[in-house]
Amino acid sequence: MKHVVDELSALLDGALDPAARGRVESHLATCAGCRAERDRLSGALAALARLPAAPEPSPYFAARLAARLAQEPSRGLLGRLSAWRWRLALPAGGLAAAALAGVLVVRQQRGLELAAAAQLDLLQEYETVASLDDVETAEDAAVIAQLDTLDRRGAP
Amino acid sequence: MSQDHDAALLLAFQRGDAAAFRLLYERNARAMIAFCHRFVRDAARAEELAQDVFVKLYRSAHRYQPSARFKTFLYRVATNHCLNEVRRAEFTARAAGPLGEDQAPDLDALPSGAPDPLQVAEARSLEQAVVALLGALPEKQRAAFVLCRFEGMSYEEIAETLETSVSAVKSLIHRATVSAAAALAPFGPGDGEEAVS
Repeated sequence: MKHVVDELSALLDGALDPAARGRVESHLATCAGCRAERDRLSGALAALARLPAAPEPSPYFAARLAARLAQEPSRGLLGRLSAWRWRLALPAGGLAAAALAGVLVVRQQRGLELAAAAQLDLLQEYETVASLDDVETAEDAAVIAQLDTLDRRGAP
Repeated sequence: MSQDHDAALLLAFQRGDAAAFRLLYERNARAMIAFCHRFVRDAARAEELAQDVFVKLYRSAHRYQPSARFKTFLYRVATNHCLNEVRRAEFTARAAGPLGEDQAPDLDALPSGAPDPLQVAEARSLEQAVVALLGALPEKQRAAFVLCRFEGMSYEEIAETLETSVSAVKSLIHRATVSAAAALAPFGPGDGEEAVS
């Protein structure tokens, strides 16, 4: 009698075709050793099912990704910043981080500063951002306060 | 919405529709963070890896062919990136040590939601055992195991993601599951809990 140990994971995963499944199940009905191995494997799957769920994304995940994508050289910085419209999707804390990240990107890329400010609609919301409870440190407040030195055309 | 919608979004992004990429992100970010966490079992590192994956997707979107399912395309990028990560000596050394504070099980994520001390202790031990298990598995087994056991992918989807055959995936998953049975034996069915059959 040929044992079916190598088929047991696929059996438990429902990955056997009907004919193979029938063969394996017929064998299991008569083989205590293979049944014991099946139960051992299914015990491991049951243990894995008890693992805690993966953690929730942090509030600033989206903002940090936006900042990284804003530094990508292709496809044009302005179009991306405009299209993503992070303020519509992010919680308040994320909005503050997005604004800060956006400001840092603009400051680091002096050549794009004026044009980026014209497109980055987050900058138009500086008053809202500045009022968020999440902006707690003096350093953050100082950065945000500089936003009002740029008008929609980016002119100081 | 179907996976085809994700493919359509990526094609729209190829044509210059930047908003399509944002929709792709919104639809897949949470799953991608969870996938990376399953791979590295570290919340902060998982977020970094997930961000890397989206940046890579952004950069490589022009190479996407509609013949490939978006899900397998995305997970292929993510799997390769996570494998590269776990090859790094830094991660290997960190993973071999005890769980840090950021790796401790999230009490709110426990199945019952109740921080029973025994349950917390068991969850922590189980988490450590799974970290050790994943760290000990060969790369391909580890990838196939995570995609199957945590992402719920079919053998066919895993084969497409790993660019191998279904029979190879079957073998990889079985060998990894046998290893898991040995590593997780102390966490087997308790009183009143029957094995899955």
